[in-house]
Amino acid sequence: MSLWWWLLARIVAALLAGLLAGLPFGHPAAGVALVASVVVARLLYLLRTTQRWLRGLSGAEAPEASGAWGELISLIARLQRRKQYHKRRLMRLLRELRRSTAAIPDGVVVLNPQGEILWFNRMAARLLHLRSRTDVGMRIENLMRQPEFIRYLRSGDYALPVLVTASVDADVWLQIHLVPYGDGQSLMLVRDVTRAQRLEAMRKDFVANASHELRSPLTVIAGYLETLGQDLDLDPALAAPIAEMRRQSTRMTGIIEDLLSLSRLEASGDAAERTPINVVSMLEHLRRDLVARLGQGASVQVEAASTAWLLGDEAQIHSAFANLVDNAAKYTPQGGAITLRWTSDTAGGHFSVQDTGIGIGPEHIPRLTERFYRVDPGRSRATGGSGLGLAIVKHVLQRHGATLEITSNEGRGSIFSCHFPDDRLVTESKLPQTRGAHD
Amino acid sequence: MIEPRLSYSKRMEAADLSHHTSRRFNEDLERVRSKVLAMGGLVEEQLAGALNALIDGDSQLGQAIAKKDYQVNGMEVSIDEECSRILATRAPAAGDLRMIVATIKTITDLERIGDECEKIALIAARLASEERPADHYREVKHLGRITRTMVHEALDSFARLDAELAITTARSDRVIDEEYEAIQRQSITFMMEDPRSIRRALDIMWVVRAMERIGDHAKNVCEYVIYMVHGKDVRHTSLERVEQEIKSRSARP
Repeated sequence: MSLWWWLLARIVAALLAGLLAGLPFGHPAAGVALVASVVVARLLYLLRTTQRWLRGLSGAEAPEASGAWGELISLIARLQRRKQYHKRRLMRLLRELRRSTAAIPDGVVVLNPQGEILWFNRMAARLLHLRSRTDVGMRIENLMRQPEFIRYLRSGDYALPVLVTASVDADVWLQIHLVPYGDGQSLMLVRDVTRAQRLEAMRKDFVANASHELRSPLTVIAGYLETLGQDLDLDPALAAPIAEMRRQSTRMTGIIEDLLSLSRLEASGDAAERTPINVVSMLEHLRRDLVARLGQGASVQVEAASTAWLLGDEAQIHSAFANLVDNAAKYTPQGGAITLRWTSDTAGGHFSVQDTGIGIGPEHIPRLTERFYRVDPGRSRATGGSGLGLAIVKHVLQRHGATLEITSNEGRGSIFSCHFPDDRLVTESKLPQTRGAHD
Repeated sequence: MIEPRLSYSKRMEAADLSHHTSRRFNEDLERVRSKVLAMGGLVEEQLAGALNALIDGDSQLGQAIAKKDYQVNGMEVSIDEECSRILATRAPAAGDLRMIVATIKTITDLERIGDECEKIALIAARLASEERPADHYREVKHLGRITRTMVHEALDSFARLDAELAITTARSDRVIDEEYEAIQRQSITFMMEDPRSIRRALDIMWVVRAMERIGDHAKNVCEYVIYMVHGKDVRHTSLERVEQEIKSRSARP
């Protein structure tokens, strides 16, 4: 404020001085004009230097000036300094961010909505063999050509990561997870999971090999026990122990068979094949087998409300259904009823086994399909199950895209239902065409 | 004309493969390119699977791979149709025309590679039941790795329009030929030493022969890439001459 008054006062004083200086010569107006033009010239000069300074032509030093003009320049200079400080801070932050993303031990690739590469870090370059100079702007699927990955990319469902082998070296396994963000961009996270994959393979191999190796000695033992059991000269006191040994060796064979079929299921990986299976006749067979085992008095019903055929692996489906039927038989006391149902609707096909057995407590249901899970350890030993039956069922259903549903009332019985997706069903009349399409 | 440091899009422009008044046309071309590469990915998987089936003695995998060949054939037909459609409706010129022509040729070679993979897979399924040799197919494994790398790099050069990579890759066909000769000689020795191994050795010869053919097809793909980028037909010319010519051209201002 005071600066302005000071400036005004100075100009007025200078003009007055010009007026007074002009008076003795009789040209007061000329004196005023002279002083005014000096003032204007000085202002113009300052304006020019300031403008040149702001344009950055005369270096970064702010021009020297006093008074109001000097104040103006120093204000601008301060503003500029503050801006530059913020800019430097942001730049530093950005650089830090870039550096830290680049140093992440996982591969990171940024993709635009068209799937073109916008940026990737060093690890991604190493894992995916990308080249920073040429590959920015390329579609990721042109360089990552694994069919598994392309399917994942196009599916639009990125809830889970996908496992692929590295394109050059098939022994390297990569786990790739797409995370969409912003306007259709996505972050692709790549991780080398070769070690975990190798351990998993070792575990599977171990189970398969161990079960296989245990089978042959067991066959020998079971064979001798059988001969001993039929030996009439044997001490009668030994009869009971031998009978028990035979029962246990049969049970052990069952466990090993189940372990082997589980590891076979795990090894078979992909979705199951699509051979048409006549479910109704399969259920009829299962019923006949069960009646033969339980005796004529048993009440076993088949209710087939649908004639649809199922597309799947026949041996696997049979083993899954048989396991469910066996379970029902095991836990249903004499005089109980077992019902096998096959229905279909728009959602797909449904197979269920209902029994009037002892039922299962709700706390056990979520854990039933775990390997060797026992609801009642004492009881299941008596029934002689392997503890793997439902695990096998679960694996078979997974390979067929189906789900298992268990409902149970303790003391009144349980229902085990398998829900198959619609695309695995085929009506009998369409069978020949379906076969043709797959050839 | 070609500088190694140019970015992908710049190089596309340099090769005159991308500026069009019609954005749809551009998208069509891009889609065809992606489809060719997806087909290539399928073939790569087939090759890897067939070799694994042979080396691990996995007859199930071999059968599964052999059954998958129809997918590759299906893709060839669909890409072929799309190329004809683009030729008919867009009447492409210069770089675009070269790209379409190169694509039509590339898919033929990829389809043949698929056929060779089917052969290997079927033999692998048959050999799985027989006893494996003491060296566990070490040489075959080695040759397999070279072949796979070559197919992979040929497709990479197609994706990146990288003529230099195409030349280096095409040259590695010689390595495959040499390995093929070596395994052939070795097999003859085995057969003379032990006539019981003749059957297996003959089967292995078929496998190596298939890989040698795959190498030739991959080399063809590389040649199409050079043609696509430089507009120069380099079939039946020695690679040295091609390289010299390209160098002299890019040296010119």
